[in-house]
Order: sequence, then structure tokens, then C-alpha cells
Amino acid sequence: MTSAKHRDDERERTERDVELEERALDGADDEPQAPRDTWGTIRRLWSESRGQQWRFAIVIVCVVLYTVFSVAAPAFSADVIDTLWTEIQASFAQGRDFVVTWDRGGRQIAVYLGVWTIAFVVYSIQTFTMAGFAERLNLMLRNRIARKLNRLPLSFYDSRKPGEVVSRATNDLDKMSEVLQTGLLRLLMAIGSVIGAVTMMFVYSPMLACVFLVFSALSIVLTRLAARRTLLLAAERQKWVGHLTAAVEEAYSGRVIIRAFNREGASSADMRALTRKLADASRRADFLTNAAAPAIRFVGRVSQVVIAVLGCGMLVAGRLTLGTFQAFFQYIMQASEPLTQMSMTVNTLQSALASVERVFDILDEQEVEPDPTPELAAHVEQPVCGRVAFEHVRFGYDPERPLMRDVSFSVEPGQKIAIVGATGAGKTTLINLLMRFYEVDGGRITLDGVDTHAMTREELRQNFGMVLQDAWLFDGTIEENIAYGKPGATHEEVVAAARMAHVDFFVRTMPRGYETRVANDAENISQGQRQLLTIARAILADPKILILDEATSSVDTRTEHAIVHAMEALMHGRTSFVIAHRLSTIVDADLILVMEHGTIIEQGTHAELLAADGAYAALYNSQFM
Amino acid sequence: MRLLLRFLRPHKKLVAITLLVVLLDNTGTLLVPTMLANMVNTGIATGDFNHIVQGGALMLGASMLASGGAITGTYLAARLASNVARDIRDAIYERSLAFSNSDFERFGTGSMITRSLNDMNVVQQSIIATIQMVLPLPFLCIVGIFMACLIDWQMGMLLAAVTAVVMVIAVVTIVNAAPIFMRLQKLIDRMNVVLRESIIGVRVIRAFTKERHEERRLDEVFSDYASSAIKVNMMFAGVDAASFFLMNIAEVAVLWLGGNRVGAHAMEIASISAVLEYAMLILFYIMAAQMVALTLPRAKACLDRASEVVDLVPEIRDGADAAGAAKGAAADARGNEAVAAFDHATFKFSDADEDTLHDLTFTCRRGQTTAIIGSTGSGKSTVAKLLLRFHDVTDGSVSFCGADVRTMTQESLRDRIAYVPQKAWLFSGTVASNLRFGNEGATEDEMHHVLEVAQAGFVDELPDGLEARVAQGGTNFSGGQRQRLSIARALMKHADLYIFDDSFSALDFKTDAALRRALVDETRDAAVLIIAQRISTILHADQIVVLKDGVVVGLGTHEELMRDCAVYRAIADSQMKGGAGDDQR
Repeated sequence: MTSAKHRDDERERTERDVELEERALDGADDEPQAPRDTWGTIRRLWSESRGQQWRFAIVIVCVVLYTVFSVAAPAFSADVIDTLWTEIQASFAQGRDFVVTWDRGGRQIAVYLGVWTIAFVVYSIQTFTMAGFAERLNLMLRNRIARKLNRLPLSFYDSRKPGEVVSRATNDLDKMSEVLQTGLLRLLMAIGSVIGAVTMMFVYSPMLACVFLVFSALSIVLTRLAARRTLLLAAERQKWVGHLTAAVEEAYSGRVIIRAFNREGASSADMRALTRKLADASRRADFLTNAAAPAIRFVGRVSQVVIAVLGCGMLVAGRLTLGTFQAFFQYIMQASEPLTQMSMTVNTLQSALASVERVFDILDEQEVEPDPTPELAAHVEQPVCGRVAFEHVRFGYDPERPLMRDVSFSVEPGQKIAIVGATGAGKTTLINLLMRFYEVDGGRITLDGVDTHAMTREELRQNFGMVLQDAWLFDGTIEENIAYGKPGATHEEVVAAARMAHVDFFVRTMPRGYETRVANDAENISQGQRQLLTIARAILADPKILILDEATSSVDTRTEHAIVHAMEALMHGRTSFVIAHRLSTIVDADLILVMEHGTIIEQGTHAELLAADGAYAALYNSQFM
Repeated sequence: MRLLLRFLRPHKKLVAITLLVVLLDNTGTLLVPTMLANMVNTGIATGDFNHIVQGGALMLGASMLASGGAITGTYLAARLASNVARDIRDAIYERSLAFSNSDFERFGTGSMITRSLNDMNVVQQSIIATIQMVLPLPFLCIVGIFMACLIDWQMGMLLAAVTAVVMVIAVVTIVNAAPIFMRLQKLIDRMNVVLRESIIGVRVIRAFTKERHEERRLDEVFSDYASSAIKVNMMFAGVDAASFFLMNIAEVAVLWLGGNRVGAHAMEIASISAVLEYAMLILFYIMAAQMVALTLPRAKACLDRASEVVDLVPEIRDGADAAGAAKGAAADARGNEAVAAFDHATFKFSDADEDTLHDLTFTCRRGQTTAIIGSTGSGKSTVAKLLLRFHDVTDGSVSFCGADVRTMTQESLRDRIAYVPQKAWLFSGTVASNLRFGNEGATEDEMHHVLEVAQAGFVDELPDGLEARVAQGGTNFSGGQRQRLSIARALMKHADLYIFDDSFSALDFKTDAALRRALVDETRDAAVLIIAQRISTILHADQIVVLKDGVVVGLGTHEELMRDCAVYRAIADSQMKGGAGDDQR
């Protein structure tokens, strides 16, 4: 049972927070859309794509060929129509019907087919080549991000929302590959087609070409206006999405109160007002976004009508052949869409480059200082005793504003140290320094007398086990999660650890036992059980020194008992740092560290600290009487 | 899908008009090529420039019809889609209000927000795209072929054949691509999950020096995604190339056959271009419809998620004879001493093995204070939730002023209970707007009065007093201030029962005591139920219920329990030990 009891627990809150962040990010199209250094980024992207560059070269050759052939094609179709029409008129003049044969039109049609077939072949080569190019480049950058993530200092993670970093590796790179795949090709082809088609129009009829250009200018202006307005309306819609999200979130969080006070009607009315506002805003935004294209197409249609009338006049006057007349229309098709879409394409290209820049920013982040090489690194003698000492430690997340100025204490093997303090007093700071997630600014921390800074991180961390409150499990089976700290552990070892952690019974009640998948969003495992699983993990890893976070009130009594017992079992014979919430832990600890504003303000045993009648005494009394 | 139909029904007229307008747009578009052909044909035949101008005027008219239709259609579609999305959002929210806590937890806040915001946005966009790109497709194909038939029946047949082939390609693509698309979506989710895991769990990963392992895990999902994405891209490149090629063949066929038909006097020369244009139009629309069709499974999933909420029948419903029972209860409210009574009440969460509360029997009387004490997880808060009918008992009964709560309407029940929840949550707005929750038409004097009782005098010292701004959740106030405001909000209500669920925990001892003294006068004519962890808070209650693991292990006054109840004594000892001897204060 148990998981049911405390569902409004912390986990749900944090998960929801994360999700909300995510949403905020989804809507965050206000991230810089223009790259800081367009050419610099392009050059870098080019050099990153080493090994793939030949693909790009093929694509460029194909694009050039395609453009040449597709611009030539209508001219050949003019030839076809003109030949047919001449032959037909000749046959009709002789009073005969006309049938296409190889000599009478057929050859021209075949040539025309040939031209298009070549265009088709190069088009296919280019599309297929590009289909792989972008994703491969993408994969390469993703792999580099994966490696980078392990070399970034903790301060990188602590100063950013997880969703933000995830979005770099997913959304930003997807945007890049999408643009490379379609946008870039389209832009290159568009430039070629427009130049070619307009040139051909001038060859056929400078006057009609000018008419076309005038109308095109008009549609470009229209497109720009529409684009600007679309952005405004999209922002307006986003604003209401934000308001509604906030309102819904608030109402769901306070729904018990809404119901207890019979405010359902009032609350629904408030919500209706907001959904209406959002509907209005999104109707306007959707309308404009989708109406811009037909409006611009209308300008195009008018220009076609004008050209048709003028062209038909010239046709009748014999200044234009029937074939060139219809070829002219084909050129209009070729040139008009790309011309109006060009500015849009340039915008997406720019925003993709901005995305790429954000990815590069992560790749350029400063990394943790490298570990000393194994020969030069200091070693502690195995087995480790577990003696830990802080010697005049100075530290601040911002070196300008130190939190700890001169902290010293020492811990004998097997002792239990309780860390107490209000939320936000910096209890994790101590763990950050012990585990070298952050480096001290001054002084030193020793393990069995060896300066931890001189050791490799790997060797240092091997000696520690951590059980944190927001129990971290990954998306894998329960067995894999327990064996995380000891690859190659046998099933029996896993079960033994689980039994010691009082979680074996629970696991057995799961439908697939130790093979049950732990999904992060699944509700099948409660917060308390998650913590028990991480205790089992620590037991199996068998470290000499422990860092424990006690269970919070969000866990029900029985699980809480289980956690207490499991932790006691785990702490036996090990040096343990316990972030304490419980009276019993504090009272019998060998050393109590009282933290405030990121530093240790008092230390001593329970009796000593009570006698001193300082911050600890005040905290203790306020909490327990 | 049923859900969508249900929400389209009120907009039946709008749907009809929208479709009609979109068809007008298509008709206009399809008329233009034939008109151009006619203009050129008569132009060549007669050499009459007036004809040409007339033809131009007709084309302009058709273009205006097409563009006017397209723009109006866009507006109507946007309107329809936004209305439907709005209505579903409203329905989701309204339904959520009727949910019991268990009902609601089934979805969770995050998911509920996604359902009403993002999901509905997807649905909205899909409606627009479907109206504009998918629904008109059959009409467009049929009319296009018909127009070609008008030019020449053989041309019509040729066009029909081309259309059929393209349709087959499109359908095959959709059938094949849809599952890959779904898989791609899953791989994207998976990529997000694994990335998020390795970022959130960075401390654990480094503590266990599992960096390499995480790197491999990430590389694996990245590669899976890349190969699927390349597969999809290749597939679309294939479709793209195939339709390109098909178009070439079609064009050549039209030219060849067209030349023969013109030569046989069956049609005129310029009409060849018109047929070509129809072929292009149909191809373009089929491709566009195919792209939209591929996004529809996602929209359907979103709709299904919405129906899960809207179609869920709330676990707790008002009693059938609700109105009568409520009235009856109200009638004897004054005379009845027992305001709330638990009679062998048992409660178990549907997915739990054990009872959260088991066989609870006690009565809260008017003018008396009942207290419930027990450690975390002993089921204390659930007692309050049963009284308010946020949950229903699974066995036994809870009655309010003599009537089983299940026979009353939730509204009439909650109308008579003032509740201070464990988590002092305030709504964004002002202090006054929060207080009005308890009493819509409250005067300023009443508000000042309850603030005084709730020891929330600090409000008067705020620059804006009652109009002081409150942030969402009340986060701009301290925990203690929030708690006092939350108490004041409940006191605004004139109720038969006041429930304080661990509502004094953030108050210092002095405020706690002063507040409880002031409360005595305020709640003289009502029953009071205090749920607490601190013994000092409930020392003077008329009766104390001691809960342990959901079972009553003691019932009586402080003195009686100190004498008879081991659990109570243990709690008292643990709290008073080291408390500098101020236990009797």
C-alpha cells in the first residue's frame, strides 16, 4: 500500500515544476533568434561536418545542375508546343487530322522528357544525400554534447534548469537538421530558379517580365508586413497561453480550497473568461498566419491575369508564339513562390544558426579541471578507515562572496555526524565539497590524512555512498537500478541488498519483481520506496563513508520505519554524514554541524550545543516544543 | 473522435458554412486554367482583343472568388478551431472540479495542465489544417477531373489515372510512415528522458563514477534516433522523387495525347496547358493532405487524453435524494448536538492493500473542541477529507447533523463547514479577494474582525492593507502569515463545523496560544475539529482522538490519555523531553 497515502508529496511538486519549466521553454520563442556571428558560426559548422563534407559538395553540384535543367525545361516545352501547333496547323490546312509521330513532335517531346529526367535524377541524388547529411551531423554534435556533459562542473548544472540543457541537445539540433534538410536546399534552389526564370522572362518579353517584377515587389512588401504582424499576434497568443497556464496551475494546486469553499462556479467563470481571451487571440493569430498566403497569392493571380491579357494580345499580334506564352507562365510559377518565401526562409535559417550557436555555447563551456594523471595522483591506503577532516576550508559559489570563511572539523572513523539547519541553510554545500562536486577556494579536505584535491575524483568518490532525498532512479529495471554502483553484481547480491534495505518484499509485490521497469513519470513506486531502493543501491556498493538524507514527512509511517531501520543497518561501521530532520538522529550523533547561510555556525554534541544555548538550542526548542 | 463530434455539434452551422466557403475557394482555383485556355483559344481563333479582355475579366472574377473564399475560409476555420478548443478546455476544467482527490491524482497536476493547454493547441491546429487541406481534397480531385473531361474525355481519363496513382502512393506512404513517425516521437521522448536523467542525476552519476556508462546510454538513444530519422527522411525523399518522376511522365503523356486530340479536332491547343495545370494542382493538394494526415494520429492522441478527463465519471456524486436530505438536515441542525459523527468509518485507497483509516467512531459536538493527534501518516488529514467528502468511506458512515454525508449535495455540506487545509495556499489577488472566498459579500469590518481573531494584524501594517497584493500560493508572505490568513479565510464563513488541519504548525507558541484563545469566542456555537502534531496545541480540547496507523488507539481528555494511553504518552514524552520544562504552560 502506502504510496496512496501521501500523493501530494514533494516528488509531484518537483516534477510539475520541471514540466512547467519545460512549457515555459517551449513557449520561449523569445530566445535570441538572430545569430551573434553568422559567418563565424557557419564556418565552424562547416569544419564540424568534417568527413561529411563530400556529401555537401555533391549536393551543391546537384543543386546547380538541377537549377540549370529546371530553368531550361520550359524553353523546351515551348519548343514542343510550337512544333505541335505548327504541325497541326499544317495538317489542318491540308484537311487532314494530325497524329504525333517521332518526326512530327515526338522527338521534341522525348527531348523534353530527357531534360526533366536529368533534373529528376540530380534532384533525387541531392534529396537522398541531404537526408543523411543533416542527421549525421546532428548525431555527431549530440555525441559531443554527451561527452561534454560529463566534463562540465556542477556549477553549470546548478545554475541552469534541466529543461534548458535538454532543449539544447534536442530542439535546437532538430531545428538545425530540419533547416539544413529543407530550408537550405530550398534557399539555394530558390536563388537559382529566380535568377534563371527572370532572365528567361526578359529574353521572351521584357515588358511582361517588368509587369511580373512590379507585382512581385508588391507581394514581397505584403509578406514583410504580414510577417511582422504575425509575430505580434503570436506573441499576444503566447501571452494568453501564459496567463491561462498560470491560472490553471493555480486552480489545480488550490482545488481543495476551491471545493471546500464551494467556489467551483466562480472559478469556472474566471477560467471561461481566460479561455475566451485565448480563443480570441489564437483565432486572430491563426487567421493572419494562414490568410497571408492566399492574400499574397491573390496579388500573384492578378499579375497572372494582367500578363495573360497582355500576353494574349501579343500572341494574337504574332509577337509571341503559343509555346513561349505558356513557357512564360511556367517561369512565373518557378519564380513567384520562391521570391515571396525567400525572406521567410532567411528568417528560419537565421534562427537555426542561433540554435547552433547555443549548442556551440555548451560545447565551449569551461570544463572541470582535469584529474592528475594516475602516476601523479595521491592515493589513500586501502582499505580506507574513513577519517575525514576539514582544515580551514574557505568556499563560496561565487568566489567574490565566500560563504565558508574558515571551517574546520574532524571526524573519526565510524562516527555519525548530523547536519542540521533550516531549508536553504546550505546543507548540500557540505556534500558538494566532500564529494568534490565543487572545489574549495582555500584550506583543504582530507580523507585518512590525504588531501582529496590531490586524488583523482574517481578514487575519491569510490569511498563514498550517497542516499539523497530526491531519490534518483534511472529508466531501467529495479535490478539494474540497485546494481548501479556495482556492475556485474549477481542477482543474489542484489536481493540481499534489497532485503537489508527492507525493500525486498515490496519489489516482490510488483508484477515483474526485480525486472519491473522504473519509469520516472510512473506512479507505481512511491517516493519512500524510491528512497529504499537507493539505500539498497548504497548497501550493494558498500562504501566506507556515507552521505544520507533522512526521509521527509512525505513518506508514510511504515515506510518511514523501514527507511530508518535500513539506514541504521547501512550506517553500521561506516562514517556517516546525515542530513537530519529527526530528533533521534540529532541526539545521539557524535558531532552536530549547525548550518546557516551556507556555513557552519556551531558544532558539538547535543548536550554541548544545548548548554551553549545558541542557534542550535533555539532551533531545537522551536521545533520540539 | 466522439469527443470531437460532440464539441463540433454546437457549431454545426459554422462547420457547414466553413466547408462551403472552402469549396468556393477550390471552385475559383479550378476555374482559372480553363478560362485562360478559353481566352487563348478564342484569341488565336478570332484575333479579337475584346474577347481577350473579357476573358481576363472572367479570370479576375474567378481569382477573386478563389482568394476571397480562401481568406474567408481561413477566418472561419480559425474561428471554429478556437471555439472548439475553448469549449473542450472549459469542459476539462469543469469536470476536474467535480473530481475527488483520487480522481484527480489519477492524472496529476502536470498532466492536467498539459491536457488543457498543449494538447488542445495541437487539436486546434489540426482542425484548421484538416479543414483547409484534407476535407476539400475529394472535391478538388473530382472537379479537377470533371473540368478536364469537359475539355476532352480522354484527357479526363488520363488525369483520373494520374490521380489514382498519386493517391495510391500517398496512402502507401501514410500507412508506412505513420508507425515510423510514432516511433520517432517515442525516440524523441526517450532522448528527453535519458538526457533529463543524466542532468538531474548528475551528482549520483559522478558519485558512482558512472560517467562513461551514461555517455554510452546517451549515445545509444542518439544513434537510435538518428537512424530512425534518416529512415523517415529517406522515405520522404523517395516519395518526393517518385512524385517528381510521375509528374514528368504525366506531363509527357498529356503533351503526346493532347497533340493527338488537338489533331483530331477533339480539343484546342491551349487546353493542353489547362490539363497540365490540373494535374499539378491535384498533385500538390494530395501531397499537402498527406503531410497533414501524418500529423493526425498525434492530434487523435491528444483528443483521447482529453476524453479520458471529460468522460471520467467522478467517484463522488451528489446523493439522489440530495435536496430533501439536505433540507431535513438543516431543519434539525440547531437542536442537534452531534454535528459530525463517524460511525465505524473505514477508508482505503482503491489501489492500496491496507486501510488508511480503520473503524473510526467518534462524534464532534456543537460547542466542543475535538482534537486528533498522531504521527505523520497516521491518517489524520484523511479524517478531514472524509468529512468534506473529498473521499467517501469504503465502509461504515460519516454523518453531518444527522444526515449521512453521501445523501447531501456536496455544496450544501461544504457550505456548513469551514476548512483550514494543512497547506496554507492563497490565491493570487489581494488579501480581501482571498478573504471573500469565505463570504462573497463580506464588509471591510468583518474582514478586519476575522484578521484580528486570526492574529493577522500584520495586514493592517501593510501599505495597502486589505488590498495588499497576494502572489500565487501566497509566496510573498511568510509561512506563519500564510497560515493565519488561511485561518482568517475560513473564519469568514459562518459554519457549523470548523476544521483546522495542522493549521498552527508554523506559528510560534505565543501566537498559537493567543489564536486559540480568540477562537473560543468565535466558534462558540459550532463544533471544532483540530488536527495537530503538537500536543501543546490540543492540551485543552474537550476530547482527543489518538490515531496510530489509521486506528483509534485512544479517546479522551489530555489527563485521561496521559493516564491510559501509551501511544499518547509516548508522543507527549518525545515532545516535552528537553523542552526546558515548559510543558505545562
